[in-house]
Amino acid sequence: MFSVKMTDTKLLKDMFQAIAILVDEATFNVNPENIQLRAMDPSRVAMIDFQWPKTIFDEYQCDQPQKICVNIAELLKLLRRTGRDETVQLTLTPDTPKLQITITGKYTRTFNMPTLEPQEEETPTPKITFKTEAKATTEGLKQAIEDAQLVSDHVRVEADPEKITLQATGDLMGATIELKKGSDALLDLQTQEPSKATFSLSYLAEIIKAASATSEIATLQFANDMPIRIDFHQPKEGKLTFYLAPRIEVE
Amino acid sequence: MPTLFRELAKLCEQLGSTTKRTTKLRWVASFILQLDLNEVEPAVTMLTGRAFPKREKRVLDVSWMTINTLIRRMVDADNRVLSKAYSQAKDIGEAAKIIFEIGKMRKQALLSEKIMTILEVRQMLTTIAEATGSGSREKKERLLETLFSSSSPLETKYLVKILTGEMRTGFDEGLMEVAIAEAFKLPLTLVRTANMLRGDIGEIAYLARSQGKEGLKRLRFTIFRPVKPMLAQMASSVTEALTKHEGSTALEYKLDGARVQIHKSMSDVRIFSRRLTDVTESFPEIVQLVRDEVDADEAILEGELIATAENGRPRPFQHLMRRFKRIREIEAMAKKITVQLYLFDALFINDESLIRNPYQARRKALKQIAGSIPLTKQIVPLKASIAEGFLKEALEDGHEGLVAKRLDSPYTPGVRGKGWLKIKRILEPLDLVIVAAEYGYGRRHGWLSNYDLAARDEESGEFLTIGKTFKGLTDTEIVNMTKRLKRLKIKEERGRVSVLPRIIVEVAYNEIQKSRKYECGMALRFARITRIRDDKSLEETDTIQKVREIYAGQFKRHH
Repeated sequence: MFSVKMTDTKLLKDMFQAIAILVDEATFNVNPENIQLRAMDPSRVAMIDFQWPKTIFDEYQCDQPQKICVNIAELLKLLRRTGRDETVQLTLTPDTPKLQITITGKYTRTFNMPTLEPQEEETPTPKITFKTEAKATTEGLKQAIEDAQLVSDHVRVEADPEKITLQATGDLMGATIELKKGSDALLDLQTQEPSKATFSLSYLAEIIKAASATSEIATLQFANDMPIRIDFHQPKEGKLTFYLAPRIEVE
Repeated sequence: MPTLFRELAKLCEQLGSTTKRTTKLRWVASFILQLDLNEVEPAVTMLTGRAFPKREKRVLDVSWMTINTLIRRMVDADNRVLSKAYSQAKDIGEAAKIIFEIGKMRKQALLSEKIMTILEVRQMLTTIAEATGSGSREKKERLLETLFSSSSPLETKYLVKILTGEMRTGFDEGLMEVAIAEAFKLPLTLVRTANMLRGDIGEIAYLARSQGKEGLKRLRFTIFRPVKPMLAQMASSVTEALTKHEGSTALEYKLDGARVQIHKSMSDVRIFSRRLTDVTESFPEIVQLVRDEVDADEAILEGELIATAENGRPRPFQHLMRRFKRIREIEAMAKKITVQLYLFDALFINDESLIRNPYQARRKALKQIAGSIPLTKQIVPLKASIAEGFLKEALEDGHEGLVAKRLDSPYTPGVRGKGWLKIKRILEPLDLVIVAAEYGYGRRHGWLSNYDLAARDEESGEFLTIGKTFKGLTDTEIVNMTKRLKRLKIKEERGRVSVLPRIIVEVAYNEIQKSRKYECGMALRFARITRIRDDKSLEETDTIQKVREIYAGQFKRHH
């Protein structure tokens, strides 16, 4: 038996939206303490590592650890039907393979949807020695990425002890965005050595846009031509971390 | 040991380097032998220029535009360099290779690298095909970028060829049948028959490898699984046909319609085009007709669909094509354009294969179960003069000509044999491919209305230009053609747009001349498009070799 109830339905929707960026069929690991998901996108360029403790939910019941796999886009469709001041309850009982979604407000609606064959393979987290760690507001990041998107499909992220620079170069136009240490956007910056790496905006923009709906502050870690790790701070020991592989130049 | 995709790419490159059939066969046969069992189907499918088995409905849905955008994104080269590469290369696969070899590339790194084996490539292609719905274009692009980023320029060349369905190594399905027979020491006729029955060369290779002779022998007709149609050779006159068949022949009207294969199992009926695509939905009234009239629990029948006017006379082919393409308002269109079915052969009736039976016996069996559905008009002529008269009658009734069918001939699926001979009055039109187009003048200003027509070179698999025309299409057709060609654009130089060879047209002409203008040494005189043949596939277009034969034939007659 697995059953959770949540009144902050916006947060729930936003979180599933962030997961949906990378995966179509999401395999959740649920246990008596928390709910987790770690998955790579089919192109193997980006990864999501998500965890919510039971305390984020208003009610949380899970008798034993199990894997639950659902089509996340379909689940989102149903969750979007929730209005303000409504409560969502997700239930999976042992007697049916269907996930039950109950939305309670002025009246009660109960949907059910099939669960899928869970992915058995565990996704390992990449081991990377980062050289730069920065703490930024998600709003600041979002604005910077939107600027870069105007001119190019990729962006170079560069850090020196004083600032982070985002450099976007398109066929015709270019953009340079500077985030100074200690500014409203960049709260903190630790650089062991100057670091730069280039990332596809197709992934980066979507990740930042979706994840920033769930979080105010993010920690970025990167190094020369290595994957970037972005932690979107969650309430109560929750975790939402993305890894994104860089684009690299080869001769 | 899993086979690397690189090995397959290398083999393809080798195949393209020779025109020697026996050498090609030896290479492919030994390659197939070295594969792991589960690699056989994917490898054979890819070698014949497909991402997935022929029968599967899975499609990649990756446009040339998407591939082009990605190539450009991944290289640090200016437009001039890219255009040069495109004009140097014979196809976009080769262009991709040239471009990727030029200089610096921006590759997408991965969080976890995988070795590019044949199976891994198939897996990626499957994931690309499965990306559908909103955001699917972006997903497909990401997957392709991963695929290209993990590949060498040579591998990319053949990935692009598989993605666009143009292998052009001069190694077609017919040769693959021979290679499979050689590799597994099986009789070629067995492999051919098996391939005809299943319509999937990859699966045949797998069966040959896993179950050998016995496995292939066990194959039977399967209802709702279409088989390749038997094809006819050309005869220049009724007399020639009668002579070739030693007087033992039947003449049938050759209707100017679309050939269909009809499968029936109890009340289920499905209709397949000659390209073996399922067109059942387009012809509800024919489905009903077959259900009501055909007196057999199970049957595979062949016939011709023609569009008819109220007086029963055939209407031009274009009308019929409007029925084929329809996906909406089928019922309304069925009222507007009436079609008539004429049956002419039976391959399978109630658990019994008829293809080895002589023509006459099949026709008799067909007659017995056809109910009120007419068979194509037929006579067994005793004299040449009667035969001549019958041809005249067919042409006057608005049909294409006649097919002479040897009375004792079996049905040989997919084979263009001597058992059937088609007789037409004029020089036979050719099915050619548009490879480039130019903008017109005056009223046709702004429309691609002057077309370069090409025939396939059987040996190299390339398309060689043999003529040009701006005649035959209506203004509306030109507008549509322009739109279609623009989507297939490879490059544009001085008002001349080169396109992927995709659009097939039937071309009439007065003569084939020797010419230095084109690489192939021949040119069509007074070429004009007589119809757009969307019902045909690239493999079915006419070849340079055939054009040479016609050229030689007209020479004989004139002198």
